[in-house]
Amino acid sequence: MSKTIRSILSLLLALIIIFPILYCFSASLFARTDFSTSPARFLPTTVTFSNYARAFKASNLARFLVNSLICATVGTFLRMSISLFSAYSLTMFHYKGRYALFIIIIATMLLPGDALLIQNYVTIQRLGLTDTYLGLISTSLLAPTSIFILRQFFLTVSKEYREAAYLEGCSDTRFMVTLLIPMSQSLIVALTVQSFIQIFNDYLWPLLVTNSEMMRTVQVGITMLGFSESFDYGPQFAAMATLMCPMLILFIVFRKKIYEGVSTRFSGR
Amino acid sequence: MKGKRIRKATPYLYLVPALLLAFLFCYRPFFLTILDSLYNVSLNGVRLKFVGLSNYRRLFASESFHDSWNNTLRFTAIFAPVNLVITFSLALLCNTNTKASRLSHTLIILPMAVAMSSAVLILKTIFDPNVGVLNVILNKDIQWFSTARDAMSMLVVVGLWLDIGFDFLLFSASLRNIPKDLEEEASLEGVSIWERLRYLEIPLSAPILVFVLSNNIKDAMLMVSPVMILTEGGPYRSTQTLVYQMYLEGFKGGNIALGSAIATIVFLATFLFLLILLAFQKRRVYFQ
Amino acid sequence: MALGLFAQGKKENDTQGITTITWWHSNSGLLQEATDAMVGRFNETIGKEQGIKVQAVYQGKASDVLTKIKAIDQGGNNSSLPDLVQLDAQAILDIRDNPVLIDAETLAKENNYDLSQIVESARLSQTYKGKMIGMPFNSSTILLYYNKTAFDQAGIKEAPKTLDELATDSQRLLLKDDKGTILRYGFSGVPTTYELCAWLGQQNGLSLICDMNNGHDGIPQKMLFDSNGTMDNFLTKWKQLYATGALDTATSGISASFASGKTVMMVASTSQLTTTLEMIGDRFELGVANLPAVDDKATGGVNIGGGALYTLDNASNHSKETWQFVQFAVSAEEQLAWHIATGYFPVNSGTYELDAFKQHVQDNPLFGIAIKQMRESNPQLQGIWVPSSYQIYYAFQSGILKMLTENKDVHETTLSLAKEIDGYLTDYLNMQATK
Repeated sequence: MSKTIRSILSLLLALIIIFPILYCFSASLFARTDFSTSPARFLPTTVTFSNYARAFKASNLARFLVNSLICATVGTFLRMSISLFSAYSLTMFHYKGRYALFIIIIATMLLPGDALLIQNYVTIQRLGLTDTYLGLISTSLLAPTSIFILRQFFLTVSKEYREAAYLEGCSDTRFMVTLLIPMSQSLIVALTVQSFIQIFNDYLWPLLVTNSEMMRTVQVGITMLGFSESFDYGPQFAAMATLMCPMLILFIVFRKKIYEGVSTRFSGR
Repeated sequence: MKGKRIRKATPYLYLVPALLLAFLFCYRPFFLTILDSLYNVSLNGVRLKFVGLSNYRRLFASESFHDSWNNTLRFTAIFAPVNLVITFSLALLCNTNTKASRLSHTLIILPMAVAMSSAVLILKTIFDPNVGVLNVILNKDIQWFSTARDAMSMLVVVGLWLDIGFDFLLFSASLRNIPKDLEEEASLEGVSIWERLRYLEIPLSAPILVFVLSNNIKDAMLMVSPVMILTEGGPYRSTQTLVYQMYLEGFKGGNIALGSAIATIVFLATFLFLLILLAFQKRRVYFQ
Repeated sequence: MALGLFAQGKKENDTQGITTITWWHSNSGLLQEATDAMVGRFNETIGKEQGIKVQAVYQGKASDVLTKIKAIDQGGNNSSLPDLVQLDAQAILDIRDNPVLIDAETLAKENNYDLSQIVESARLSQTYKGKMIGMPFNSSTILLYYNKTAFDQAGIKEAPKTLDELATDSQRLLLKDDKGTILRYGFSGVPTTYELCAWLGQQNGLSLICDMNNGHDGIPQKMLFDSNGTMDNFLTKWKQLYATGALDTATSGISASFASGKTVMMVASTSQLTTTLEMIGDRFELGVANLPAVDDKATGGVNIGGGALYTLDNASNHSKETWQFVQFAVSAEEQLAWHIATGYFPVNSGTYELDAFKQHVQDNPLFGIAIKQMRESNPQLQGIWVPSSYQIYYAFQSGILKMLTENKDVHETTLSLAKEIDGYLTDYLNMQATK
C-alpha cells in the first residue's frame, strides 16, 4: 500500500474515531427540539448556548466539579507523598525485610479493585466515611505502579549523595525535596498528572460511596444532572463538552511528550 | 540512645502509610470477601452462619449467574482479540511519517481525554434508535437496546472506543521503537507485508502485545460501569456481566454473601486466564 | 487532615413557635409543580393557623430517596432523617419493620382520623400485618393504551377485553410491507412484575401470587403462582399472542414506539397518561381501556401501585404536626387538585362525591376510565411485597422471553420461574439475623 493511500485512510479512520467527540460539541448547541426530529440531526438548527447556562445554573454541576477537583488535588498530593516516601524508604535504607515489604506492596496490583468493592464499601461505612472526601479518595491513595517506578529510579541515585547529606545533618524530607525530587522531576510530573487524571475520572467508587447530592463527583453527577424531561439532553452534552475541553487541549498540546514518555518506558526498563 | 532507635525505625515508619493502605484496602478485603462467601451474611455485614460452598452452589444453579458468566466470557472472547487486531492494525497503518499520519496520531489518542462516563453517555445517545445518528448513518433501524445481539455488539464497540486511545498509543510507540535499520532491510529485501508482520513487527512488539491483551482481558472480565450506564444488564439480562451482577446482588440487593462469592469467582477466573496467557507467552521464543 | 463533610439536605431550625416539617419526595417536572402548589396551599392555610411550615425537598428518583434514607439509618444518625418521606413499593421491605417508622394507623388513632375515608384498595395496599404503615399518596393502576385511529381504520370497534381478543385484534392490526418487514406491531411489551400482579392476581376472582398474603403478613417464603395454575393459564394466553406474530417483545422505548405509531397497543401506568398525550401530539387519537383480562373468570381487576407517605421518627417529636400535613394532602379537595394536575387517582373516597370531580371526569373521559377500572376491581387484589425486586423483574422477563423464542413448554417455564424466584426469597431469609 502506498504511503499516500495509507495516510488518507488513516486520517479517515481517525476522523471516524473522534466523531463522538465532535458530536458532543455539536449536540451541546442543540435546542431541545433538535433532539426529537426524525431522522436524527448531526448539526444544530441554530446555535444556542443556553444549554451551557442551564447546565451550570439549574443543576449542581459547579459543586460536582469542585468536589472532583478537591478529591483529585488532595488525593494526588497524598498519593504522591506516600509513593515518594515509600520508594525512598525502599531504596535509601538498608534493613531487614526491605525487599519482602516491597513485594507486599507491589503484589496488590494482582487484586483488582472492582472485585473488592463490597468489602471496601463496608470498611468505609463502618468508619463513618461515606459522603466524605476522605472516603472518596481513600482507595486511590496506594499506587503500587508509582512506587515501583520511583523505586526503579531512586535505585540509580548514588548512595553517596545521601551519606554525604546525612552527615551534614540534612533531614530526610529536606533531602527529598531539595535533591531527589528535582532529579526525578519529569518522572514525578508524569506520575502526578496520571494520578490526577485517574482520580478525577473515577466513576464506580464515588458512585457507591456518596449518597448526598452535594458530595457527588462530576463523573457521577453528569449521569444524574436532573434534566430528565423527554429529549432534554442539551445541558448534559454542554456539561460533558466543558469537562472534555481541558483534557483535549492537554492531549493536543502535549502529544509529543506523551508519545515520548511512553517510548522511554519501553527502552528505559 | 533514643536518637538511634528513631533512626532505625524511620525507614519502617516511612512505609507505614503504604503498608496500612495495602492491608486495609487490598489484603484484608480480599480475605474477608472469600470468608463472607462461605457464610450467610446479614444486611449489615454480620456473618450469621457458616455454610461452606452453599453460596457457590446457589450461584451455579442460578439462571442469572449463568447469564452473567456466559455474557462476560462471550464479551471477553470477542472484545480482547478484536481490540488487539483493530488497534494494532491501525497503528501499523499509521506507521508512516507523513503529515496526515502525524495528524492521525494526534487524533486517535483523543478518546483518552474523555472520561468513561461522558464517553458512554455520548455513545448512548448516538446508539439510541429514536434520537441517535448511528441508525441514520447506517441507514438501518437496529434496535440497539432491545435486541440481545445488538446490545452486545454495542457494548463491544463502546469498549473499543474507551480503550482505543491508550492501546493505539502503546502500539504506535512500540512500532516506532523498531530499529530503523531492520525496517530498511525489510523494505530493501522486498519482503511481503505478511512476512514483514510475521518476522519483524509482531515479534518486536510481542511484549507490548501481550501486555495490551492481558490488560484487555482483565478489563473485559471486570466490565461493569458501561453496563451500568448503557443497558443496566438488559435486554433480558443479555448484557449482565459478572461484576454487574455482583453490584446488583451485593449492593442493591444487600446480599453480601452472594456478592462476595461472585467477586471470588471473578478474581479466580481472571487470575486463571492471565496465568494461561503468561504460560503461553513464555513458550514462544522471540528474538531481540 | 480530617476532611469530613456531611451534607445531606439542610434542615431549618425551628424558629419561634413555627414547627418546620421536612418532606423528601421524588416528584420531578410537572409533578414537582403540583407538589409545591399543594405545600404552598397548606402553609398558607392550616400551616399559618397552627404554626407549621412544610419544606418539600426533591431528592431524586424513588430509589434514590430510599438509598438516602437507608444510608442515614445505617449510619445511626437518625436526627438527619426527614419528618416525612415519599417512597414506593421498592422501599416496603426496608421500611415496614424499621423502628424509625411511625405507622399511619397509630398516628390516625392519636389524631382521631377516620381511615375508612381512604379508598379500600389503597388502604390495603399499605397494610402490613393488619396495620396501615403509610398513607397512600400517588396511586396509579395499569391501563391499556391504544391507538384509536388505527382501531377505527381497521374497523375494530372496541378495545380488547380479554387476552384472546388482544391476540385477534393484534393480528388484524399487524402491518407488513412487501418484503415482509414489520411496519407496525399490534402490541408491544414483555410482562413486568407489576403487570403480572394484576394478570395473575385477577384470575378466578382473586388469586395469590406468593405466600404470606402476597408478603403483606410477613416475609414471603414461596411463590404460589406455580401451584394455583395462574401462571400456566397466563403463559398459555401469552404464547397465543406471540404466535400471531404481532407481538413486539421490547423492553424499553415502548412509549416512544407507541407515540410514533410503530405499535398500536401497550400497557402502562395511569400516571403516564399526560406524558403520553404530549408525546403523541396530534398524530392520532389516543384511547385507553381496562387491562385485558386473562379470561372470563379473571374478574379481579387490577391492583394499585405507586407511592405513599411515611412518617419517620427523627427525635424531633413533630409527628403530630407531620400528620396535620398528611391529612391535608389526602383530603378530598387536595386529592382532586392532585389528580387534575398529575393523573394519579384520588385516594380519598370523598373526592369522588365532589361535583368538581364529576365534572372533571366528564370533560376528560380518558382519566375517568382508570378510575372506573379501579372501582370495579377487587380491593383485596394487592401487589407483592418481595425482596430482590430488580432480580425478580429480570427473572420474569428472561423466563418469558426464553419460553417464547425457544418455544418452551408452558408448565416447565412456570416451574423454572417459581424455582428461580423462590431462590431469591430464600436468599433474603438467609440474610435475616436469627433472634
